[in-house]
Amino acid sequence: MAKPEFTGPLEKIGCNCWRIPREYKAGMRVDGHIFANDKLVATLRKDQALDQVANVATLPGIQKASLAMPDIHWGYGFCIGGVCATDPEEGGVISPGGVGYDINCGVRLVKTNLFLDDVKHHIRELVKVLFHTIPSGAGRSGRYKFDTTETRRLMGEGPKFVIDRGLGIAEDLEHTESGGRILDGNPHEVSDHAVKRGSDQCGTLGSGNHFLEVQVVDSVFDAEVAKVFGLELNQVCVMIHSGSRGLGYQVCDDALAAFRNCPAKYKIELPDRQLACAPVDTPEGRKYIAAMRAAANYGFCNRQLLMHQTREAFATVFGRSWQNLGMELLYDVAHNIAKLEEHAIDGVNKKVWVHRKGATRAFPAGHPEVPEAFRAVGQPVIIPGDMGRASWVLVGSEGSMEKAFGSTCHGAGRAMSRTAAKMDGIGRKIDKELESRGVIAMAASRSGLAEEQPKAYKNVDDVVDVVHEADLSRKVARMRPIGVIKG
Amino acid sequence: MYELFEHTADLGLRVRSPELNSLFAEAGLCLFLAIVEDIGTINPRTMAKIELSGNDREFLLFDWLRELLLQAEADRMLFCKFEVIVRDDGLSALAWGEPFDPARHQLAHEVKAITYHELKVVRAGEEWLAEVIVDI
Repeated sequence: MAKPEFTGPLEKIGCNCWRIPREYKAGMRVDGHIFANDKLVATLRKDQALDQVANVATLPGIQKASLAMPDIHWGYGFCIGGVCATDPEEGGVISPGGVGYDINCGVRLVKTNLFLDDVKHHIRELVKVLFHTIPSGAGRSGRYKFDTTETRRLMGEGPKFVIDRGLGIAEDLEHTESGGRILDGNPHEVSDHAVKRGSDQCGTLGSGNHFLEVQVVDSVFDAEVAKVFGLELNQVCVMIHSGSRGLGYQVCDDALAAFRNCPAKYKIELPDRQLACAPVDTPEGRKYIAAMRAAANYGFCNRQLLMHQTREAFATVFGRSWQNLGMELLYDVAHNIAKLEEHAIDGVNKKVWVHRKGATRAFPAGHPEVPEAFRAVGQPVIIPGDMGRASWVLVGSEGSMEKAFGSTCHGAGRAMSRTAAKMDGIGRKIDKELESRGVIAMAASRSGLAEEQPKAYKNVDDVVDVVHEADLSRKVARMRPIGVIKG
Repeated sequence: MYELFEHTADLGLRVRSPELNSLFAEAGLCLFLAIVEDIGTINPRTMAKIELSGNDREFLLFDWLRELLLQAEADRMLFCKFEVIVRDDGLSALAWGEPFDPARHQLAHEVKAITYHELKVVRAGEEWLAEVIVDI
């Protein structure tokens, strides 16, 4: 589908920051701010994502600016890579589209005490065992089944529910955003349909861009922070990218149906139906928030079970317990979520609803929500890239609080559509190509590898350079994949 | 006729048909074309009955696809044949298919949801045109 280019105004206002003035479109309450360098801006103009940044600026109660990270790309309603904060005291809204279908899609990084030399001769076997251990791909159910009552309890308690059953340790919770449990969720606001979709999917990877990768620390950029994070050159880690599976999708879908009449009911003019929203303090708003928080806890739990199965697979291949292999969780971050957070706005501290749709929380040193182990340096930020090049570990920095409601980018961002990437993959053996680059990959579907091939994505290094230079987060270590499991 | 069209992160379904009933039926087929690698592997051996109400054609198309996806996800069903009667106040439909069998059905995409983004049911010359973007 040919998409019109963005021809609106875009003014450079600082290091890697561009402005769409509020005069650009009727109804914009604030400016749009886009974090990008000259190179990325040229590609961003080619689709409608920038127009979506302007659309989000029309939402009631929006504060400061409608923000976009350098990995921004066109989404439905909100662009992917967008951040916006709304103030409930000023009629601020909550928007399911500002969170996304995959509520609490996110990433966790698990460390090991193994190094490249310990793993390189076992990588083929390791990938095979991981692939057979970890359910992946469309429609796959997991080895853990929860009945309706258990699924609802799991959403109330988060990963603690499964850790209490021996599937992890207490330290895992400390190293998960919000301690793995967002308070004031209400699992009873999650529909039976959603619970049914989620009852056998906790601990499954899913498909699309979700993955599990065995990675090696390729470069260390900040030795002091890397030491605090327990990362060093050539160390082997595992990155897990997944979300709240069918349960989260259904919670979003249910909310969008329930919000259908909200714009008329609350007299909100929307430039796009997919931006459906409701004021926070309304029956519709409260119900969605309660269900979304519960679904987010399911998401943390899903990644906890994926990590547990990964620990078991490593123990099988290396013949030692996962504890003996030093498989500690570095950190788990959500990148599709809305959270009530305190931020300074024009010198006044306010509680605002920060929507992060394809953006990662990046709190700096000293922030009370950063776990004690990292508080002196800042929150670890995990940025997945593509399966051929790299992923990153960053650390939150002060600039994120000043400029982006404590947020940074979330990944590489797509450069090619799925259909274009699939066409591009015809006649090629992408797994063999990856192998020649030193990456062993296994995928559940034929479409998976082609659609997710490296060149379908922007270079994550470019994206990370932007957020580093804009001081939204700083580089700590670059990770290179050596083994990939795709859905 | 139907086709899958490009969308940066997701997939679009585009259907053209001379009348609304067949437009909705083909849209259903198009959804399962995105979900399974080979729609020919689905046997139309069980039938589901779907009744929906609503007077906005675009929302009705959305609700129709949403209902099919719901049955596909929650009841592990795959559908390959559809008969739809679209009225001013809703629709009545029959969908034929069978439960997902991993031994015979290769899934291509996990469709997370039907989206409202650029949702379209319009008259285009002599025929109807529908466009829907699904989230992958």
